[in-house]
Amino acid sequence: MENKKWFSLNLSNRKKQSIISCGCEKTTENCNHNLVKDTEQKDGFEQVFDVKMNRRTAFKKLTASLLIGAGAVSTSCSVITDDDTKEKAQIDWEEQFKGNYKLMTDDEKNATVNRLVRSYELRTGKTISMSSKNAEEDVLFGYAFNISKCKGYMDCVSACVEENNQDRNSQMQYIRIHEMEDGKGLNFAEADDNYYHEVPAKGHFYLGTQCFHCDNPPCVEVCPVKATWKEDDGIVVIDYDWCVGCRYCMAACPYDGRRFNWSNPEIPEEEVNKEQHYLGNRLRKKGVMEKCTFCIQRSRKGKNPACVDACPTGARIFGNLLDPNSTIRWVLENKKVFRLKEDLGTEPKFWYFMD
Amino acid sequence: MKNKYHIKLYFASSFMLLFVMLSSCKEKEEKYHSIIDKIEVESKDYHGISTSSDIYLEDLKLIEITEGEHTFLIPERKSKIKSYSCIECHTEPLEKLQNNKKLKEAHWDIKLIHADKNTLNCATCHSGNDMNNLKSLTDRKISFNLSYKLCMQCHSKEFEDWKGGAHGKRLGGWAQPRASNSCVDCHNPHKPGFETRFPSWYNTKTEEERK
Repeated sequence: MENKKWFSLNLSNRKKQSIISCGCEKTTENCNHNLVKDTEQKDGFEQVFDVKMNRRTAFKKLTASLLIGAGAVSTSCSVITDDDTKEKAQIDWEEQFKGNYKLMTDDEKNATVNRLVRSYELRTGKTISMSSKNAEEDVLFGYAFNISKCKGYMDCVSACVEENNQDRNSQMQYIRIHEMEDGKGLNFAEADDNYYHEVPAKGHFYLGTQCFHCDNPPCVEVCPVKATWKEDDGIVVIDYDWCVGCRYCMAACPYDGRRFNWSNPEIPEEEVNKEQHYLGNRLRKKGVMEKCTFCIQRSRKGKNPACVDACPTGARIFGNLLDPNSTIRWVLENKKVFRLKEDLGTEPKFWYFMD
Repeated sequence: MKNKYHIKLYFASSFMLLFVMLSSCKEKEEKYHSIIDKIEVESKDYHGISTSSDIYLEDLKLIEITEGEHTFLIPERKSKIKSYSCIECHTEPLEKLQNNKKLKEAHWDIKLIHADKNTLNCATCHSGNDMNNLKSLTDRKISFNLSYKLCMQCHSKEFEDWKGGAHGKRLGGWAQPRASNSCVDCHNPHKPGFETRFPSWYNTKTEEERK
């Protein structure tokens, strides 16, 4: 990581020596050039003071890094603190100064994912796997929901909560299943999205909503810090570490697709899904937005989202809109499909249809 | 003099307007009018992708079928039927078995709740002469593995939707190759309707908040 965009702390690897390969075309043993070079890295203070800069930038950098790094620096000076604490402080420092995920190179994405995995290991002693897999070319995800097939069992909701590490305390749920009365059309005002009786209830049908991953997403446009964007495979994602929690996106979404963490999310350790993606189900913190990501940690690997897998009636269809032979394409081309609030021009990639 | 000033103002303001229009806050204007246009154009030179469903289908016993222009995988059925093959018990004609008081009663748990008695009974699908196979309405042999051929005789609309992928749960992942449940993997053929039951999720927090 030579081209890092921020200053690094060097808390735990002060006395590292490394062999630098020489320019001459001999093997390391035969080369008589002096190869062993002390590559002791400068720590935070030295990096700031050893670099030529004018007073203004120096102050700017100092105030920012001093405030956030004060804790980290104090740990580095302490003789008593153990290596783990120092490593944790170093990871926190690096995480504090990393950029927006959208602008990261693949190496940088990898580095932040590795830091987050290590940080979790240091905190809990448990190993997770976190992916930073990018969108594949020629893939555009789309979703179809059969309102004649859905029976309102809500297996999708509980599968989604478990898969995506949603806060058990506030009982956050990305998916809502609306119980609607036959003959009244799509009347959301009169629909019940939190029923508890035997389903399917007579004279009712069921319609599920979640993030529709609009092709023209209003939530993305209003974000003042560009912490949410549309990936190349059409998934609208959030960088939880870049989000400032202003909830503009929540207000902008016409479909109530976004959720906010009012409190620190709580998930029992044994229930944490350890197969994670940076943009997907990794653990969130208080004060950030989250929502359905078409289970990016699954879909980028070729799996169906958890809701599709959990549905016992086959009402949920997911696939690649660019593959002319995909089932989602057949549905779009052969069934009478519609979307919600189509006149808004948001172009959701989530269609409804009937048998 | 005044006229000249007006022209200057006019030029300045039109310049400003042009600037504002060019430097709109929106990052980039979408190339397509709608998502359908986008799909149409971008899928024209689709040459397949590296993501595959294969690894998720490894543990499943599947058979490939071709119906019309659709070719896909469905679960193999025979190995899932507990007492297949049927002729291990059905060694004699049915009447003889039924009148043999020494034998234990069999298939007592099967109650036919499927269409009405005018339309359908055991013999509509099962053949007394060939217990190991199903039979069509015209008395032609249908393998238990391809039982969908039996269902489609009446449920032709569902069959069309199933072939295309609008009906029937998908197995494995979203990518090719496609594997879908066959009719009998979701519907009990003797009682094909879905049961009512309580939902597997209830949000007590939402309920509290709405009180």
